[in-house]
Amino acid sequence: MTISKTEIEKLAKLAKLSFSEEELERFTAEFDEIIAFADTINQSIEGGTEQIRNVGARMVSFDDLRTDEVVPSLPNEKILSNVEGYNGFFSVERSKK
Amino acid sequence: MNYEIVCGIETHIELATKTKIFCGCTTEFGGEPNTHCCPVCTGQPGSLPILNQKVVEYAIKAGLALNCKINTKSHMDRKNYVYPDLPKAYQISQYDEPLCEKGYIELDSGKRIGITRIHIEEDAGKLIHENGYTYIDYNRSGVPLIEIVSEPDISSAEEAKEYAEKLQLIMRYIGISDCKMQEGSMRCDVNLSLRKPGDPRFGVRTEIKNINSLSFIQKAVMAEAERQADILDAGGTIVQQTMRYDEGTNSTTPMRDKENSDDYRYFPDPDILRFSIDDEKVEEIRTSLPELPFDKLKRYVNVLGLPEATAKQISRYRKVAEFFEGALAEGASVKNTANLIVGTIFSNMDTEEEKELFAVRISAAQFAALVKLADEKKINIGFAQSTLQKMLESGKPVEEFIKPEDLVGISNEELESLCKEAVDANPKAVADVRSGKDKAINMLFGYIMKKTGGKADIRKAEVLLRKLIGQ
Ligand SMILES: [Zn+2]
Repeated sequence: MTISKTEIEKLAKLAKLSFSEEELERFTAEFDEIIAFADTINQSIEGGTEQIRNVGARMVSFDDLRTDEVVPSLPNEKILSNVEGYNGFFSVERSKK
Repeated sequence: MNYEIVCGIETHIELATKTKIFCGCTTEFGGEPNTHCCPVCTGQPGSLPILNQKVVEYAIKAGLALNCKINTKSHMDRKNYVYPDLPKAYQISQYDEPLCEKGYIELDSGKRIGITRIHIEEDAGKLIHENGYTYIDYNRSGVPLIEIVSEPDISSAEEAKEYAEKLQLIMRYIGISDCKMQEGSMRCDVNLSLRKPGDPRFGVRTEIKNINSLSFIQKAVMAEAERQADILDAGGTIVQQTMRYDEGTNSTTPMRDKENSDDYRYFPDPDILRFSIDDEKVEEIRTSLPELPFDKLKRYVNVLGLPEATAKQISRYRKVAEFFEGALAEGASVKNTANLIVGTIFSNMDTEEEKELFAVRISAAQFAALVKLADEKKINIGFAQSTLQKMLESGKPVEEFIKPEDLVGISNEELESLCKEAVDANPKAVADVRSGKDKAINMLFGYIMKKTGGKADIRKAEVLLRKLIGQ
């Protein structure tokens, strides 16, 4: 499987990212390598990765799911400690585009 | 030109769990912004979501109540889209292995509206757009939702409304959500297309997003069907797009398109293990479900013999139905119990919400004690009503208001002399009645009721009074 530059452009658009022409060329080549790597893994597993999910993967049973008990949330300052907050909110300047 | 409406509804319902779907943060409504948050529900790198058992249980309850098949193996997927209300740039949802599939809701006409699927997912945060900035509050982020997708089986505005109404009723009954449309704990998206009658092909459809009241669903379907019919009649074509319903103008208008936003690139979330629910667990959940409102309604009418209108009013609210059945279990009669609930208790409750909550200050057993006095004709219905009102106001049992001497009632002799007294004391009212102003007799009833503290049998009194007046 290979990926085209058009597909990379579409993904960038969906992710609301813009790249230069040179970056797009570079990413297309890099994506190709990553996909080839995943393909190699896929081929080395009998039945493909789909098979891992169906047979090999660990499953959790209903009884082992998390019980519905409240634990304290983080203080607001902590939640906002890596961003510029405003009155307790995350704040984002809206893009002009 | 006549067209056939082809309509399906997607409904998002917020589940009434204590904690969010993947973390232990509270789901409590409101609170200061970003105070019900942790690394998981704000999508911090390295945080690990763990599925809430109650969410799975509630979704299965919904599925069973809607006649669905429960998938005993299920997993979560990532639905990718970039918008600031999603901190991770993806929503954890379910794609190809939803918890429930292939159910239905039966309308009053007997027609069944198919349920395609029910899946679980997380809610997004709240955005406030102001002065060129977007302010984000992630308190709602990660609150559990179920999405219930119907088949395009709905073919009129009335059916659309009835479908949503029934869905709301069932979800409230099984206690998994309060389904308040105004507050957003139930939201509907309506898909709609038109086709010529008999045409097996579907027309191009549009989607009306985020309708927040039952009556707006009906109006939005009518408005959108009309809009599409006008376009088709003029030889135009329908554009597949997302619409907004405006209640002010009662019309639908296209929303600004989020370009290509339906390319969600779903894939299984590698952070969350696939999970299984064994059949025994499903059966255990099934037996925990209450009798559903429509089954109750049928039983009240067919087995208990209640008139349909009364049966509907009682079966509509789970707590009312439980109170009613509780009184019957104590030996109270069906008719008096039902009439006192609908006639007296409901007169204290103006809103749907109050009836839903049904916060009465007396127990079903205390209520039954009063009803039985009326059943045994120890007190008349009017006196039972006024006593019930006092019990509701004070929260005190019937013994507080009815003394043993009240129970014997008024003897015929006493009533006769009281009637004479009433006639003598109200000459004007008597003259009015004689001259045809029949309403004036109420004055005499009032006199007798006041003298007896409401205990007199008003029908007997009327016969006596009319005899005395000479009618
Ligand atoms: Zn959290």
